[in-house]
Amino acid sequence: MSSAAERQHAGPPQPSSLQTPVLQRELDATHTWQGPGGAKPSQITRWMSKRGVIAIRSFVIFIALWWLLALWVNRPVQLPSPLRVAIALGGLIAAGEVSENALISVSRLGISLVIAAVLAIPLGFLMGLRREAEAIIDPVVELLRPISGIAWIPLALFIFGVGDILPLFILVYVAFFQILLNTIAGVRNVDQRLIAAARTMGVGRWAVLRYVIIPAALPTVMVGIRLAFAAAWAAIIAAELIGAPSGLGFAIEWYRELLMSPKVFAFLVVIGIVGYFADLALRALQRWLTPWAQGTELA
Amino acid sequence: MIRPAPESRWTPVINAVLLPAVLVIAWQIWAVTLPADTRAPAPVGVVAAFFHLAGSGGLFSATLQSLGRVLLGFAFAVVFGVGLGLLMGSSRSVKDNLDPIIESFRPIAPMAVLPIAILLLGTGTPAALSIVAYAAFFPLLINTVHGVSRVDRKLVQAAMTMGVPRPRILATVILPAALPSIMLGARVAMGVAWTAIIAAELAVGAKSGGGTSGGIGQMMFVFYAYSIDLNGIVVCMIVIGVVALLIDRFFRATERWLMPWRY
Repeated sequence: MSSAAERQHAGPPQPSSLQTPVLQRELDATHTWQGPGGAKPSQITRWMSKRGVIAIRSFVIFIALWWLLALWVNRPVQLPSPLRVAIALGGLIAAGEVSENALISVSRLGISLVIAAVLAIPLGFLMGLRREAEAIIDPVVELLRPISGIAWIPLALFIFGVGDILPLFILVYVAFFQILLNTIAGVRNVDQRLIAAARTMGVGRWAVLRYVIIPAALPTVMVGIRLAFAAAWAAIIAAELIGAPSGLGFAIEWYRELLMSPKVFAFLVVIGIVGYFADLALRALQRWLTPWAQGTELA
Repeated sequence: MIRPAPESRWTPVINAVLLPAVLVIAWQIWAVTLPADTRAPAPVGVVAAFFHLAGSGGLFSATLQSLGRVLLGFAFAVVFGVGLGLLMGSSRSVKDNLDPIIESFRPIAPMAVLPIAILLLGTGTPAALSIVAYAAFFPLLINTVHGVSRVDRKLVQAAMTMGVPRPRILATVILPAALPSIMLGARVAMGVAWTAIIAAELAVGAKSGGGTSGGIGQMMFVFYAYSIDLNGIVVCMIVIGVVALLIDRFFRATERWLMPWRY
């Protein structure tokens, strides 16, 4: 018992100056030692090294390379130029196809994350708090977990057919295990001394759960939800590509079959952007729900 | 803590078997109550299908084909992911310039890249390989960068003070110090790659009219679309799960063997 508490208090190693990136520092050093007397970097150099500027510059170079490659390959069906992709993207946005399919995919994702959370969080609390429950349920979890959600697609196609249920089933399945395992870990890692202290002061079981265990476990649960989102976002494209008549995964495959590759690439861009902003939204939710848990970021 | 009753040494075994056994038996009972011409899978049928498929050697060769693709794609990902990761971890300007591009590709799922891989490479093995390599690339890269950037710089300085040339520092100081992180990345990457190959084979089978891609994903699709053998599908699912588990155990064992100082 005491060793467990100690382990908890050891905590993750604090980033110290000793652990800052090695060669990175040397490189900085070589940069600042530009000339005798340590000439300060000019205005332009400083502006060029700003984060946003670097990002834009990288994108410009990337798009230029893509364009050159497209010109050199000169097979627009296989590798369309960035301009044609941008035009296709503009057309798709104007026609409302992007918002329609993105909305379908994102709402499927949202619904299935909510269903998975509703199923997995109470079960996780039960398994985290009660050893007997964990001993009995855990074998089933460990038997099913290695079978990836995607491997369920053929069987689910047979049971549900092509439609809305299939992607929801696959996503709930994928998200469930991530949330469950993180909930169990979060409940398990609550500082036992906090619970003991509350119990000593005569706090009831439910109050301990409400005011000690849930707040302490919630940050880990939120990490589980973000991991679940990442896994589900990868799975939704597969599920829609094979077994749904709508959504981003369906759209991208639809235009590939028609060999309209600028539109395929345009939807790829949309998938990247939507995925990025969905993760941003989840981070915001995480900060809002568990403001006391800053620093428990995903590695 | 005081345990209320002394546990028999069989208790853990009974606990582990209890719920799976109950579920399997319930499944079998449910299947027996269905009309005789049902296609619904049942435990007895699954076992029979397993012996049939394993006996004909088809299951084994399909699994081997999928595994071979995963290993080849994974090898590509190791070369690019770890190589680029070492570069990005040790040079800040490289990292700053490449990060925006890497981060904007990261939310694009491997399966979303599949249509483009099919456009560029056709429906054969190269498309499947590129999906696997793409899927495995990101965990490897990110964990390598993380591992290299956390190497104790006193070690590097000590080596430099003693006049060790840079390539040797990389090989004898930085790489071993970053190895735990790289191996973690490799384990995650291999799991993702195994999922990706199943998805790719399934989708190629589903979307190119049952092409000749082979592999266990393709086998599942054939069971779904042509022979409608749901017991066979369940056998494939179990095999996929077992392989995923073995891959995970293999990497954990390798970690222990490569880095005995951590265990």
